[in-house]
Amino acid sequence: MTKWYEKSGTDGDVVISTRIRLARNVNHVPFPAAMTSEQKEDIINKVFAAFPDENGAFSCVRMETVSPREALSMVERHLISPDFANGAGETGKALLLSPDESVSIMVGEEDHLRIQVMRAGLDFDSIYEEANCWDDFLDSRLHFAFDDRLGYLTQCPTNLGTGMRASVMLHLPALQEHGIIQQLANTVSKLGLTIRGMYGEGSRSEGALYQLSNQVTLGLTEQEAIENLKSIAGQIIKEERQYREKMRSLPAFEDRVFRALGVLQNARLLSGKEFMSLVSQVRMGIALGMIPNGNLDRINRLIIEAQAANILCRAEQDLDAAARDSHRAAFVRDNIIC
Amino acid sequence: MYCDYCGKQATTHVKKTINGQTTELHLCPQCAAEHGFGSAFGLDLGDFWGSLFSEPTKKSIADTVRCEDCGRSFREIAELGKAGCPTCYRTFYDRLLPSIHRIHGKTQHTGKVADKADDSLKKKRELQTLREELERCITAQEYEKCAELRDKIQQLEEKGGETA
Ligand SMILES: [Zn+2]
Ligand SMILES: [Zn+2]
Repeated sequence: MTKWYEKSGTDGDVVISTRIRLARNVNHVPFPAAMTSEQKEDIINKVFAAFPDENGAFSCVRMETVSPREALSMVERHLISPDFANGAGETGKALLLSPDESVSIMVGEEDHLRIQVMRAGLDFDSIYEEANCWDDFLDSRLHFAFDDRLGYLTQCPTNLGTGMRASVMLHLPALQEHGIIQQLANTVSKLGLTIRGMYGEGSRSEGALYQLSNQVTLGLTEQEAIENLKSIAGQIIKEERQYREKMRSLPAFEDRVFRALGVLQNARLLSGKEFMSLVSQVRMGIALGMIPNGNLDRINRLIIEAQAANILCRAEQDLDAAARDSHRAAFVRDNIIC
Repeated sequence: MYCDYCGKQATTHVKKTINGQTTELHLCPQCAAEHGFGSAFGLDLGDFWGSLFSEPTKKSIADTVRCEDCGRSFREIAELGKAGCPTCYRTFYDRLLPSIHRIHGKTQHTGKVADKADDSLKKKRELQTLREELERCITAQEYEKCAELRDKIQQLEEKGGETA
């Protein structure tokens, strides 16, 4: 089955992916931080029971059966949060995953359930619709905690209301190079949004990948939050394109893109950091149509598959840093351009 | 209480403990925003929430009531920056509201309504939409549609949606 990240989507020159995550909890049960192991088991069983084999062929995984390596590779594929991955090998946490990995449901993260839907490119409307369907489906079986005034009740007050975090992963090399990201971050924060590094909360941005998401969840509807995000994302995309156009004609820029490509095609050792910085340049070159046979789908997929834990999972062993960088270089050589 | 920076009315109170020395910071909304406390953005909420409620006057009443579902007191919730269970929000609604307002700028949910949630809210929303539509039809002089909408509104009201 093709995974969601193996193809690029709408506005794919700038937008890597769109994601919606709903935080949901069950009435009269303590939040995960205060739950007993019996209560955790009970929730997992109830959620698993909602997904019998014939229903969509979701895989139901208990995190105690997942190795730390696999768990980290799931973080790299954006299926679970870093916090959730820390619980690999622990009981009381579980993951439900659709075959194309576009729908993932974390059980026992910060809230009882985190329902997440992702898609390549800019695509809020269809993924909200899908997230909404899974929400209704699970609500009818589990009965989510809800209050007339505060909306969906969540462990942390920052998620009260819709419990919805919508985000879009943007590739912003031109804005980054022109030092505009900080200014952008200040502006969007005044509009109830936030922009941060690729793996969310507290992560640095590598490869000029940034995640733009809504901060406020109480007092506005899901549609309002999404419209707000769409319109800001639209403006950022436009700016990024304008700066890219300015760079396109610079000989030094063209030189840099092709040097980056040369290194990726020939290097024998590639650290994660070097890979991200080079692939970012190449991706921009492909988006500008500078590289024959360049393909954004392939690059998006490579960005995920060349991350450390994904390499270790394919190698089926733990590797030291040098061996990992060698595996990465070999993998990138084979997959950068066909 | 006045702002430590500019002397205006302080609305945010932050406690900081460095090397066992506790200092308190009082900030007006503008200065709080400038120091990253005015909104939920980029802020260690646990610390923030806790410090908000750890004033001595509030401490004394905090521990007498406990959430009937999870047993947590208001003080415990404030210190952890996290509710113990959904019922905590209903039990301590009034006391949690100021910081909820501080985080979101609003206190009334307007988004999706859970299926098993109180039906009256759904009706209230539906009625509101119908009334707005009716007003629009009156202005547009679409009288046939007006009659239709009035019937719908009446039906909903008879079902008891207006009692809430
Ligand atoms: Zn001030
Ligand atoms: Zn409680």
